[in-house]
Amino acid sequence: MKAALSGLLAALAAAAALAQPVARLLFRDVTREAGITFQHHAAPEKKYIVESMSGGVALFDFDNDGLPDIYFVDSLTVETARDPQAARSALYHNLGHGRFEDVTDKAGIGHPGWGMGVCTADVDGDGWEDLYVTGLGGNHLYRNNHDGTFGDVTGRAGLAGGGWSTGCGFADYDRDGKPDLFVSRYVKIDLEHLPEFGKGKTCEYRGIAVQCGPRGLPGEGDLLYHNEGNGHFTEVGARAGVSDPRGYFGLGVAWFDANEDGWPDLYVANDSTPSFLYLNQKDGTFKESAFPMGVAVSEDGAEQGGMGVAVGDYDNSGRFSLFKTNFSEEYNDLYHNDGDHFTDVSFRSKTAPSSLPYVGWGTAFLDYDDDGLLDIIAVNGHVYPQLDKARLGASAPYRQRRLLYHNRGDGTFDEVSAEFGPVLTEERVSRGLAVGDLDNDGRLDVVVNDLDGGAQVLHNELEGAGHWLLVKLKGKGGNTDALGAVVTVRAGGRRLMRLVRSGTGYLSQDDMRAHFGLGAAAQADSIEVRWPDGTSSRMDEVRADRLLEIDQPR
Amino acid sequence: MRALVGLGLTLALAVPSSGQTPAASSTAGERDRALEKAAADAAAGRRSVAAQELREAALRFHSVTALLQLARLEAGQKEGARALATLRQALALAPNSEDLLSAYAQVALASGAPVRAIPALESLTRIWADVADHHYLLGVALMQAGDMTAAVDALAEAERLEPNRVLTLVALGLAFNKRKLYAEAKPYLVRSLEREPESVEAVAALAESEEGLGELDEARAHALRAVARSPDQPTANLVLGMVLMKEEKFAEARDALEKAAAADPTSAKAHYQLSLAYARLGDEARSRREVELYQKALREVEERLQELRGQAGSAPAAPRP
Repeated sequence: MKAALSGLLAALAAAAALAQPVARLLFRDVTREAGITFQHHAAPEKKYIVESMSGGVALFDFDNDGLPDIYFVDSLTVETARDPQAARSALYHNLGHGRFEDVTDKAGIGHPGWGMGVCTADVDGDGWEDLYVTGLGGNHLYRNNHDGTFGDVTGRAGLAGGGWSTGCGFADYDRDGKPDLFVSRYVKIDLEHLPEFGKGKTCEYRGIAVQCGPRGLPGEGDLLYHNEGNGHFTEVGARAGVSDPRGYFGLGVAWFDANEDGWPDLYVANDSTPSFLYLNQKDGTFKESAFPMGVAVSEDGAEQGGMGVAVGDYDNSGRFSLFKTNFSEEYNDLYHNDGDHFTDVSFRSKTAPSSLPYVGWGTAFLDYDDDGLLDIIAVNGHVYPQLDKARLGASAPYRQRRLLYHNRGDGTFDEVSAEFGPVLTEERVSRGLAVGDLDNDGRLDVVVNDLDGGAQVLHNELEGAGHWLLVKLKGKGGNTDALGAVVTVRAGGRRLMRLVRSGTGYLSQDDMRAHFGLGAAAQADSIEVRWPDGTSSRMDEVRADRLLEIDQPR
Repeated sequence: MRALVGLGLTLALAVPSSGQTPAASSTAGERDRALEKAAADAAAGRRSVAAQELREAALRFHSVTALLQLARLEAGQKEGARALATLRQALALAPNSEDLLSAYAQVALASGAPVRAIPALESLTRIWADVADHHYLLGVALMQAGDMTAAVDALAEAERLEPNRVLTLVALGLAFNKRKLYAEAKPYLVRSLEREPESVEAVAALAESEEGLGELDEARAHALRAVARSPDQPTANLVLGMVLMKEEKFAEARDALEKAAAADPTSAKAHYQLSLAYARLGDEARSRREVELYQKALREVEERLQELRGQAGSAPAAPRP
């Protein structure tokens, strides 16, 4: 009888399994086999806002071996704040063949303190990537010594910042040939006098006690550092008009040319306050224009909890649009660039409804299937662990799944994460995300830094992806990364445009190489580069499915 | 939103037919006579005399009925705070009285104090769980208090208990629109219009859903239909403006949005969209002015929420700090 029953149950289970749709393989979690053991730290209860916002992740080739390496940012807690060794950020060297080696100790960049974000650039024009790490109580510029080690040159460079820095990004805003640096800052916080958990009107959510802020706490202004070219930077935020004297809660940073005048503009995603779009006035100053340009707030005028920001030409229109992640019960914004202004097309594009329950953080435009259309990824996770004991309402619980939007090519997207199984639908508390091609196979991989959890490396193994090109630029002069360069590929009747950027998503750094999915086209008709100094170069009839390095003509 | 409360208010402020405190028959007779006299004085327009008589009757006989009548009188005189105080006295005598709880909730709602109404309505929906009207009013109170998620739950229960009631369908549509769940809102609004095709509020709300769903032609048609019947309808003008903005007909959009902002100067959304319309038309000064008005409207909304939270210590769904 017992055996008959268990046989019946087994048959039923098998039938049920057959009835389940089989998830297609897109990303495979290769973290463990790759040798990545990084663990982010944060206090389990997140009683203070400073314990719930870290950290970023960077993909950058620190040893110029042609393979992107990974740097994860770790953070301290209020309890461990006085012990910088309690947190260990980590650099993993990409050995190829899917293996990574922890080289943090040799590199000497494991303990930047209470880390938040990260961005990279060759700040001194020596052809080697340097690393900038933001955090609470001071930032760090790690200069690449070309031998697998870095030197902390923060003091000499004048880039310590101070306060609570979050996002960062390098760009040559004055086109003098040297990368400058913008740093967003969040809240003024004094670890000796922290706002008491759950005490006060800005310390509760849905009737439960939670961490205080950011509303109700004083905001911190932002910083712009001009690269003087002698190893030193000068803080010029106020003079340039980007210092944010009102102290909005700055997070994600995106340098891009919003109005197609050839000069880098700057978008800052602010939490719980309007976001900024600083238009470059070409004289060392900027004009804050987010409201008239239509990218300050949501379509209905709500000040959203802006976190991460992605830049991409998702409709191959020749203009860069914006995607911004926000707090739950708001929606993630897709701002379409119409030339002289932006239009919030979040609902029309069908990206908004599925984002409503989630607190969004890291995000990127990426062509995950190489079909020539930029898709969107966003990682999520709430800030209040206490939420799981409260009435959830319209919000998802503390741990949240990811969102992957497939571009349909008609201005709309399908949210498809469920098609690709638990690697995207598993509920986690994610923050930083970086996208890049870790193995140069033409398919974009994803690396995620989870708050208070293990990191993830997601290898793209999609079958039947289209043709591709990966373009690495080398700029002349001091801006060897060619930050701000625009690469345009014409293939298969499409015109695809990518931007070389430092500082991406949420406090993170994507692989700077420009990735193009070409669909069925086995070659690009042309590749045109508009270099940061306004010059351009062009190649015709370029075979697909390869990594291409393009040097700026001297 | 106030219009949605109206029906329930009339229903539940009916005076109960008998007193609720035990008394000897002679005392009961005196009480009934006192109440009748007060009712006659009130009917004759001698409201202050009637109020005094009811106060004395309430004091002398511990009469819940007297207090309820007094509260009704006070509410009729637009003395909401006083009516609520009177009803609290009555509830101290009869805490589970359906009539009292219902009256308290409706006076609180009519006085713009939804957070005060919510506990009473929650009691009502708990004790008389099968009365659709209580769930409906709870939904309306939660909407007024800004908790659209809980409002939808309450309204859905009202709809389950009494399907196809137009007021409930419209309220559900409005609550889903507020949550930006336009696909969920639309079927309720379509159903409400099948039953009451002339409802301008429902047509405008349907236009809003359609605009959110990217169905711009349908949104325009419904917005124009609402505007044809009620030229100053704020939602319809706002939707029309937003559709025209998306079609880059900025001058026409500006005109519609100006009407929307004039019809509802407290609408941050209308002022924000109007600021964009002016910006697209190159009128920077007016664009800036509308941004200022938008920011003022936002501040007022925030102050209103603070005020609501102050009514009960905390709003039912305090937004993110």
